[in-house]
Parts: sequence; structure tokens; C-alpha cells
Amino acid sequence: MNKRTVRSLIAVTAAVASLTLAACSSSSKSGSGGSGAGGGGGSPLAGAPSWCGSKKVSFALLDGFGGNSWRLVTTASGKAEASKCPSVTNYYYADGQGNTQKAISDIQGMVAKGVKAMVVFPDAGKAVLPALTSAYKAGVITVPYRDFPGGKAGVNYTQYISSDPARDADNWANWIKTNFPSGANILFVSGPPGNTQGVTEHDQLTKVLSDPKYKFIGDQPFSVTNWDPSLTQQVLTANIAKFSKIDVIVSDFGPSLVGALPQFQRSGRSIPALVTSDGNSLSCFYEAQKASNPDFKLMTVATGNDNVRLAVQYAVAKATGGVVPSSTTFEAPVFEDSVSKKPHDVQCDKSVPGDVYLSAQMPGSQQAQLLKK
Amino acid sequence: MTLLERREVARLGSSRFTVPKGFITVVVSTAALFIVCTVFARSSVSHGALLGMLPFASVLAIVGLGQMLVVQQGGIDLSAPGAISLAIVIVSHQPNGDDSKLLPAVLLALLYAVGTGLVNGFLVGRMRMNSIIATLGVNALLYGFVLKISGGTPRTTTHRLASIAGGTSLGIPNAVYFAVGALVVVIVLVKRTVAGRRFEAIGANPYAARAVGLRAWQHRSGAYVWAQLLYCLAGILLAGITTQPTAYEGDSYLLPSVAVVVLGGTSLLGGRGFPVATVIAALFLTQLDQFVLALGVPNAVQTLVQAGALAVGVAIYTVNWATVRARFANRLPAVTAAG
Repeated sequence: MNKRTVRSLIAVTAAVASLTLAACSSSSKSGSGGSGAGGGGGSPLAGAPSWCGSKKVSFALLDGFGGNSWRLVTTASGKAEASKCPSVTNYYYADGQGNTQKAISDIQGMVAKGVKAMVVFPDAGKAVLPALTSAYKAGVITVPYRDFPGGKAGVNYTQYISSDPARDADNWANWIKTNFPSGANILFVSGPPGNTQGVTEHDQLTKVLSDPKYKFIGDQPFSVTNWDPSLTQQVLTANIAKFSKIDVIVSDFGPSLVGALPQFQRSGRSIPALVTSDGNSLSCFYEAQKASNPDFKLMTVATGNDNVRLAVQYAVAKATGGVVPSSTTFEAPVFEDSVSKKPHDVQCDKSVPGDVYLSAQMPGSQQAQLLKK
Repeated sequence: MTLLERREVARLGSSRFTVPKGFITVVVSTAALFIVCTVFARSSVSHGALLGMLPFASVLAIVGLGQMLVVQQGGIDLSAPGAISLAIVIVSHQPNGDDSKLLPAVLLALLYAVGTGLVNGFLVGRMRMNSIIATLGVNALLYGFVLKISGGTPRTTTHRLASIAGGTSLGIPNAVYFAVGALVVVIVLVKRTVAGRRFEAIGANPYAARAVGLRAWQHRSGAYVWAQLLYCLAGILLAGITTQPTAYEGDSYLLPSVAVVVLGGTSLLGGRGFPVATVIAALFLTQLDQFVLALGVPNAVQTLVQAGALAVGVAIYTVNWATVRARFANRLPAVTAAG
């Protein structure tokens, strides 16, 4: 036991020492380096993406909760993006495991380790804002993404890279307009009660589909499912029984519907049109069911694993002196459309598991490798 | 024959035909609920809604039967959520979509269940640890395994499991057959075998049972093993029913598992168990969920209705109504005397 403690202590000391050395060497290099295109005082590096500057930095990606396949792919995407820039000499990752205290101490730990830039998924929201602020004040390029932690760019952190639920809802609403020009009964299901993503999407949906011929049925602003497949199934069962006509289901987490949709067939009805986010299991479910369900149409927007790539680009550009991306909002593109087949028809890859997201830049086979671990 | 003796004989004679109070209550409540559903939310009793509700009622019934066995021994099993989640994670992770690996995964899940049951049984039955503390600790341990196996990331269930657990035969969801099977096994084992009769006797009074030479701790430990096997079955079914389960799917079964046992009339102090009433109580709770969903009331009201129904159900058994009546009866003449 004792030996092990000593050994781990030596390892930690060595790691800290090497880090300190790395930090020293990088700062000395940057002094001679650059014109200061970004905030970091480096210059764009030849042969690397424009956002990658010459200044050497260590970089950290922090998750508040890393425990699902979406995060697994997202984390790997973040790492892949960071590895495109040779100036990133050290890459660290920490998972808060859904524990706010751990998420906060992870941020503080990374500052202590001497990272120059960090991208943070602030799952705990405002609870991690003080930690983000102190990291920012300590001179670390701090980029929270996807979940809004409160605060202001330039005061509490460097920049917030948002996803855009309103744009997703906009894409969904426009698809409904095109495919149901004479009106539709729309059932919108989202996560826990009052979650901001669901509320934002609802507002946008009702704004675009304000014509009374579009009727939003079920609970308002959305039917609560907690994004839990069991509850989703029960909620859908209740709504199928209650409403004899459901034309479109809108959901912000498509794959959780796979177990629930067969309820339509059990009630002797066709699965209706579904507009949602993508997932291989959902696409393959569509392929298997479309023949026996004449009303089943599928349109998906990208689930947004690549949101992290924009955040990494922004943080690395700021820290290394690369060209900072002009946009601070990740806009998830439309991915599949079974009607127009644009930009893609439904993409089912039976050779990889259902938990793969084919909309991500990372190839499906590579994601499958991650899931095998 | 004295009056007392005659009364005793009469009571013993009639008790053979007496239906337990818990059974009557739960059957009447469930029937009343279905009537209320028909009047206020007809859609919740439509064919499709019932087909959607029954698989979840079946899963809850199986979990409830497991919990009942433990409660019969005067214990309580808080490791049910971890056990269900672990079974789900094993049968969805090990095969990773490959049907041919499903059977070994199911066997592995059962192995884990027996192991967990033995640990629980040893701690509570042999070491006489408090069942709340022991099983809560084991639950945390089980979630450790859940995270170890899955890394918290769930997998899609295999097609075969989805079609077995989520499919229907002869117009009835397959999960119902599993629940009925589990019910029959529990009834036969507990009510129709010598070991089962001993099991109930030990639960009713472990000291008396030990005095007459019954091996009390073995039976008490056995309850935890059987319970785990039932949780495991429930978990496997739930994995198939939901198709894309999360790694924490069992969490929502902790309170309902105890609630159905209490609603079914089994005393938390141990003793006689009421398997049929427990299963009907599971049907009651699940249909209640479906009813409030169909009502279309706000989410907050849904939770309040469920909690209210549970409180009333539990109050029927735990409040000593005779004492309450007696107290009010005593108070009334006093009031009139004062007035």
C-alpha cells in the first residue's frame, strides 16, 4: 500500500514537473512567435487548420456528465478536433460523472495543472459559473458550450458556444409546413418539465406554425418524458389512445422513441411522420417499418456531436493565436429527409450498433470501436 | 361446549373461506379505478392503451413479487433499482446487438442475481444486519457494477429480446405471460410446498419458528435470492420493452415496488404474503399512471394525484381505523354532555 502511494506520488510530481516545463517552454516560444492574430499572441501555423496558431498550449475538455453514448462520441470528436492542431501539446479529459462538486473541482484541477485553454460542458448550469469565472480570471481561455451557464462572455468566461434549439425547431416547423400544407395535429415530446431546450423549441414551433390549421395536441408546452424510454412509451400510449388523429410527432431525442412507436401498430394505426434528431437505431427502425406504415415519414436534424468541434476550434484559436471562428453558435444541419431525400435519404448502417450517430463527422465504424470498449 | 369454544370453532371454520382483507380492498380499488377511467378518461381504457400499459404493469408485478418475499421476512429490499439496472445493462451490453450472444448474457445476469441475493441474504439473514442499511449498501455496489460494465452508456437491446419481451402472443403482451408465470411459481412455492409454509411461519414469528426447530436464517436469506432472481427477470423484460434503455432504468421502481406490496396487504412486519393482491396492486398503480396521463392535467397535478392515491392506499392498512372510530365515538357524548 505504502509503496503504491510513494509510486503514485512520484508519478504525480513528475507529471506536474513536466507540465511546468512544457508551460515554460511554450511561453518562451510564443514571445518570439507572433503578431497576435487571436488573443494568445501566436500566429496561424502552416499546414494546420487556420484556427490552429503557433503557440504551444495544453488543453482540457471537461464533461459534467459523460455517461451516455452521445457523450462518448462527442468526447472522442473533441479529442479528434484538438489533435488536428500540433500546437496542442497536452490533452486532458475529465468527467464530472453527474456530480456538481466533482465538475467544479475538475475545473479547478485543470487550472492548477496549468492548462491554457479549456472547453467545458456545464451540465450543472449556473452551479459551475464561479469555477468558470475563477479559471477565466486566472488567465485560462474558458469556453463553455451547449448548456448555458449564465454569466457573460469577457466577464465570466471567454466565450459561450451555443447550440441552437430554435434553429432545430425552425427546421422541423418548415418541414411540417412543406409536407402538411393543409394543416396537421402535432404532438411535441421533450425532456423534464420546464427544460429550456424544450421551451425554446416549443416557442419557435408555435411561432412558425402559428396558422390555426396546425394544432398542438397533448400537454403544453410539451409532453414530459424526462427523455426516459419507459416514460416516453407510457406518454405515447396515453396520447395515441386519446387522440384519434396524430399527424406528426416532434421529439428532441429521436432514438428514445424506438421502443414506443410500435404502440401505433398495436392500436391498429400507422406510425405517423416523425421530425426529430438522428440516431442509427432510429434510422434502421424506419427502414424496417416504412413498408408496413404508409404514413411513416422521417426527418432528422444532426444530433450535434460536432458542437464540441466548434468550441474546441474557438478555444484553441484563442490560446494558440490562430484565426478565431466567426460564428459562436453551432447550427445543426438537417441530416435526413425521407421525403425530399435531401441532403440525405434515411441512413441506416446495419453493420454498426444502434448507438452510432451517422450525422457526426466521425465515421460510424470509428464510433463503433469506441462503443466496444 | 362453552360459548368461547363455540365461537372459536365458528371462527376457525369460517376462516377457510375468508378472502383476505387486502385482496378485497385492492380488487375493489382497481375495479373502481377502471370505472373512473371509463367515465373521466375513456381513452385510458381503450384497447391500445391497455396493450401499452400491461407490459409495464407486468414488470412492476414481478418486481413487487420479489419485494413481497423479502417483506414477508420482515425485511425490505432497497437493492431492487440496482438489480434491475444491472440486469438491463448486462443483457444489452454483453450482446451489443448480437442475438447469438443473448442467451449467455441472460445466464450471466442470472448469475449476478444469485450472487447479489447471497450477499444480501448473508448480511441480513446470517449477520442480522438491518435490511435497510445492508440492501442500500448493496444497491450502491450494484450501481458500481452497472458503471463498470456500461461506463454509464447504455446500448440498444438485441432484436430478439425486443421481440420476446415487447411482442404480443394471442393479442396479449408477452410480458404478461412472464408475470403470470412468476406469480404461479411464487404461489406454488410459498403456498403449496412444505418449505413455503415454513417460510411464511418464520416470517410471522422467527423466534417461535426457531424454537420448533426451523432453520430460520436459511429461509430468511433465501428470500433475498428469490427476490433478486425476480428483479433480474423484470430487468431483462424492461430492456426488451424499452428497446433503448438507459443505465439507470431501475431507479423508478424503488418506491412502487414497496407500494404494491403494501397495497397488496402484506404486513411490513412480515408473515403472510399476498401474491395475487400484489400483482393486482401493480396493475392498479400502472393504470393510475396511465389515467393521469390521459387526463391531460399538468405534470405537477399528475404527481399529486399519484401521491394522493398512494397515501390513501397505505392509510387503509396502516391506520388503525377501529381506534379512530372509537376515539370519535367517545368524544361525541362528551361534546353533547358539555353542550
